[in-house]
Amino acid sequence: MTVTQFVIASAVLFSIGVYGVLVRRSAVMVLMSVELILNSVNINLVAFGALHDNIAGEVFALFVITVAAAEVGVGLALVLLIFRNRKNINIHEVDLMKG
Amino acid sequence: MIFALAESIIEPLAEFSRPAIDWHALSPELTLLGVGVLVTVLDILYKERGKQIMLVITGLGFLAALIPIITLAVDGVASEPRILFNGAYVVDGFSLILKAMFLIAGYVVVLLSSQYVADGDYWENEYYGLLSASLLGMLVMTSARDLITIFVALELLSIPIYMLATWNKRNPKGNEAGIKYYLTGVFASGIMLYGMSLIFGASGSTILKDIFSSPDFLRSESSAFVVLGIVFSLSAFAFKVSGFPFHTWAPDTYEGAPTPVTAFLSVASKAAGFVALMQLIVVGFYGREDVYAPLMWFLAAASMTGGNIIALRQKNIVRLMAYSGVAQAGFMLAPLAVVGVSTTSADQGISSIIAYLVIYTAMNLGVFGIILVVARRTRSGDVKSYNGLFSVAPTMAVLMTIFLMSLAGVPPLGGWYAKFSIFRALISANTVSGYVLAGVAAVNTVIALGYYGRLAARMWFEKPAEELEIVGGASEIGSSENAEVENGSDVSVENAYEKQIVGVKQTIKAPFSLGIALGITLIATLLFGIVPGTLTHFTTVSLF
Amino acid sequence: MVAQNIAFGVMVGIMGLSAIRVVTTRNVVHAALYLMVVLATVAGLFLLLGAEFLGITQVLIYIGAVIVLFLFGIMLTGARIGKEKLLSHRNKVPALMIATVITAVSIYAAIDYFGADKLPEETRTSTKEVANSLFSQYIIPFEVASVLLLAALIGAIVIARREPHEENLTK
Repeated sequence: MTVTQFVIASAVLFSIGVYGVLVRRSAVMVLMSVELILNSVNINLVAFGALHDNIAGEVFALFVITVAAAEVGVGLALVLLIFRNRKNINIHEVDLMKG
Repeated sequence: MIFALAESIIEPLAEFSRPAIDWHALSPELTLLGVGVLVTVLDILYKERGKQIMLVITGLGFLAALIPIITLAVDGVASEPRILFNGAYVVDGFSLILKAMFLIAGYVVVLLSSQYVADGDYWENEYYGLLSASLLGMLVMTSARDLITIFVALELLSIPIYMLATWNKRNPKGNEAGIKYYLTGVFASGIMLYGMSLIFGASGSTILKDIFSSPDFLRSESSAFVVLGIVFSLSAFAFKVSGFPFHTWAPDTYEGAPTPVTAFLSVASKAAGFVALMQLIVVGFYGREDVYAPLMWFLAAASMTGGNIIALRQKNIVRLMAYSGVAQAGFMLAPLAVVGVSTTSADQGISSIIAYLVIYTAMNLGVFGIILVVARRTRSGDVKSYNGLFSVAPTMAVLMTIFLMSLAGVPPLGGWYAKFSIFRALISANTVSGYVLAGVAAVNTVIALGYYGRLAARMWFEKPAEELEIVGGASEIGSSENAEVENGSDVSVENAYEKQIVGVKQTIKAPFSLGIALGITLIATLLFGIVPGTLTHFTTVSLF
Repeated sequence: MVAQNIAFGVMVGIMGLSAIRVVTTRNVVHAALYLMVVLATVAGLFLLLGAEFLGITQVLIYIGAVIVLFLFGIMLTGARIGKEKLLSHRNKVPALMIATVITAVSIYAAIDYFGADKLPEETRTSTKEVANSLFSQYIIPFEVASVLLLAALIGAIVIARREPHEENLTK
């Protein structure tokens, strides 16, 4: 196995995630696309950790997973709050302010 | 049998050697952690009764965390940095001055929050716990010299603010502020992580000084990979400091969030972004000025120009401050474009950014203090509601003018020295790009004077706005008086009397805690402008 | 080695197709389930790279907790379980262009920088190594992450819970 093949797989996943963030309207769907990005990061980190024989890659990926879990928890709390106030979670209809 | 089992569990543990931890170097963070835990636990005991107690404990706790910073400074950390964990965590002069700045800014934000609590807007005491957590993230950020620590500190300082921005749960604008900031924030941190993973791949280390000395990272052929890594990881911080064109979240979030949170966001969170940028560029990516210098140049020029031009046509004071913040961020980004010229220009650039950050924090918190005081009367964020402030509340108008002129960079106020140090850093680099950027900055200083001056002129020369004069219905007068009396604030009796008889032109007085906040920020703004030596003595630090 | 490459190809193929479905499907629940497939294949890639602890963590935290959280979020916000027309914007073309450019540049950069650099034959890292470095070199980020989780937990509860007067109303 070469390291390049993992980096390419990760790049593809990253781009799909970026596409998702740009096109999706619902906050939950944007959040799912962000998860794709974070997973692409983790593939990179673990592959490079193996390449350089450095445990830091794996530890970094572990922190990314931990923080992602916290982020999703906070995000869904916000989504729930907005849904209760407005019955709608589409980020584009949440647009009171302009300027 | 049991012993054998126990041994088989304990034996692997024997290989683990406990790391040597320099407790003294970590004591500011530990003190702050203690404050956060104490506030969170006390909240369970006191519940709603604890509003004022929490406020005092949090405020004093933030100040208490300054004590270990002073002992560390006395210990000579500035000349002999404490290097922990193979260089992943460094306590030096750079981190101490910024830690002190964050703690004092946090204290002022607590003072600004007090009136929000007392005025009975929706409140939960977890606010103080989250504020402490965010501040802890900022303190860790100032010492983090490792990609992993920078990432975790960035998340710790951001995630509580996502929630604080939407703290006023029933306000739809607040909800929008929170979710917008959150979604752009997590997207930006995803991009940053992708960049960091590429940098780790190129250099084989997450510790910044090892990245700097990694030959692979510096080799110039086949560098597209390194370029991608640096561009991705730095642009995410451009989002954090609300640099143009990554600023789109800022006006909406500033407007929708509770005003004390906006104040915190506009100074502390922005400063944390700059801290990370300085560390990444000067410690980690220093050899790759071919990549970061053009990026920072573009961001600085675009932020100054874009922020100022959009600020010219803002009608809401908080949105005006948001765009003014974009422009000010441009000024602070400017020296990063020339730090790569030589190590002296790097030192000078870093010192000028820190001086700018400290002064900007003081004057911007001052402006938000006035906004809070005036909004208690007007309940409006429209710039028109500042018309004729001088005839109604002369003290507030004078203070606001001082802060605005300082932001514009009028001598002898603090903002003047801040801008001067940026220009000096740009020009002493002695490069074409430095001179051009200084020219862009000079033009923008003039544009900025336009909108700051116009706002100041409103307060002095216009007829007083209706909202300023009339306090509203009689019942509202009564309730606001009660709230003030309960807080032990200094509404004088004659004042109340005057209100009933005349009904117009009662002066606006700042409650006690807001008064202290305004005092601190005013002293800093004046002192650092008139005697810059008091500040430069501390900001002359080096990251090398 | 051949077996590993075949496993890699199969997993990346499944991962790519499912990821595309996550960002294109019109059904929110389907998106969550496709995301689960992506996460599972990523866990497989971790195992292929010898990161056993991480692979298991990925399954436990991502598939076990995050996906369930997403499904709860979908359920509690009463999103329509069937197809929804308005799940994506119209600005698909610029987004697609950005994504294509990023992919092309990243792939070029990776081939340019690493070429055919082989990974070491033996890349297995033991859980003990991870734990040792986590509690010595990385103890500060570890503690900071624990504060982060606590703050996120407390804040999320405050944000998401109904206020007392709302509860009275429902009673």
